[in-house]
Amino acid sequence: MKITLVKKILADGSPCKKCGEVFNRLEESGHMDRIDEILVADERDPTSAGMLLAAELQVDRAPFFVVEQDDGSQQVYTVYFKFVKEVLDQITEEKDELKEILHNNPDLDFL
Amino acid sequence: MSLTQADAQAWNQELAVQSPQDILAAALDKYDNLAISFSGAEDVVLVDMAAKLNRPFRVFTLDTGRLHPETYRFLEKVREHYGIMLEATFPDMAQVEAMVNQKGLFSFYQEDHKECCAIRKVGPLRRKLSTLNAWVTGQRKDQSPGTRVDIPVVQIDAAFSTDSNQLIKFNPLANWSSAQVWEYIRRNQVPYNELHEKGFVSIGCEPCTRPVLPNQHEREGRWWWEEATAKECGLHAINVENK
Repeated sequence: MKITLVKKILADGSPCKKCGEVFNRLEESGHMDRIDEILVADERDPTSAGMLLAAELQVDRAPFFVVEQDDGSQQVYTVYFKFVKEVLDQITEEKDELKEILHNNPDLDFL
Repeated sequence: MSLTQADAQAWNQELAVQSPQDILAAALDKYDNLAISFSGAEDVVLVDMAAKLNRPFRVFTLDTGRLHPETYRFLEKVREHYGIMLEATFPDMAQVEAMVNQKGLFSFYQEDHKECCAIRKVGPLRRKLSTLNAWVTGQRKDQSPGTRVDIPVVQIDAAFSTDSNQLIKFNPLANWSSAQVWEYIRRNQVPYNELHEKGFVSIGCEPCTRPVLPNQHEREGRWWWEEATAKECGLHAINVENK
């Protein structure tokens, strides 16, 4: 299995806050060494490796993870807690999952 | 029967030119296990439209425990007026207790509203949606130029679909304006939340909703103490030619 993490640099050159949070969580949980490759999606550079991969996989948000199995099949995860639960077998708190759903879907709180 | 993205896009193109009533009828035709989400605000028009279609329909609402008294009275009025069972969903008690005991009743003013909304709205919504194959919302493009401008009238709900349950989301009012909604309410004498008479446009939980002034966008009546920020997680390549 190969795990690729794509993190984002915003159009103004600043780092993406969510990407920082994901990095911190991976570090704190000791899972950073499970990440085989980190690519940068630089919004200022459409040819950056992360932007190209996002375009190829039709992913419209970052950070995201690409999990490539030994048989060549690929799975994309744009939800961090789904990734850690399904791929890293980490137990997650529902509260954190719900916050991430809201973060990724900012209209839900208007319901 | 699952839809592919291509199926959903084609269906959206077909429905996008139809009236909200026709979209709602198509949704009810296609899915037996479907429910309308009703917030206690102007999305009441969906309940009225469904009632006029003269076929069975279900309605659910998220009772966060922090709604205005006016909204509770309105929910009850709608239940009686249309003779429907309003399926209420409630937050997980243990999660609310833990949050309130640790942070108090108004933690959203110090932090932000995300944790509270996650517990009081998103959790119950996810639980409810896990029992459905499709749901209907009152979301409209004009409600938020920043985040709702691309709302389709039908879509695969990527946020709540699971490996074992594909969820379809209908937004029949997506292409209607607020003016059209209110014209419908007046013309059809649809009951409405009395908060609208007090200057409220977008209605949510009591601590996080306030009236807006003339020409203020309705979203300025929600979470006004938080800085408006762009949707940060999207990938937005800069148009190099225009740099």
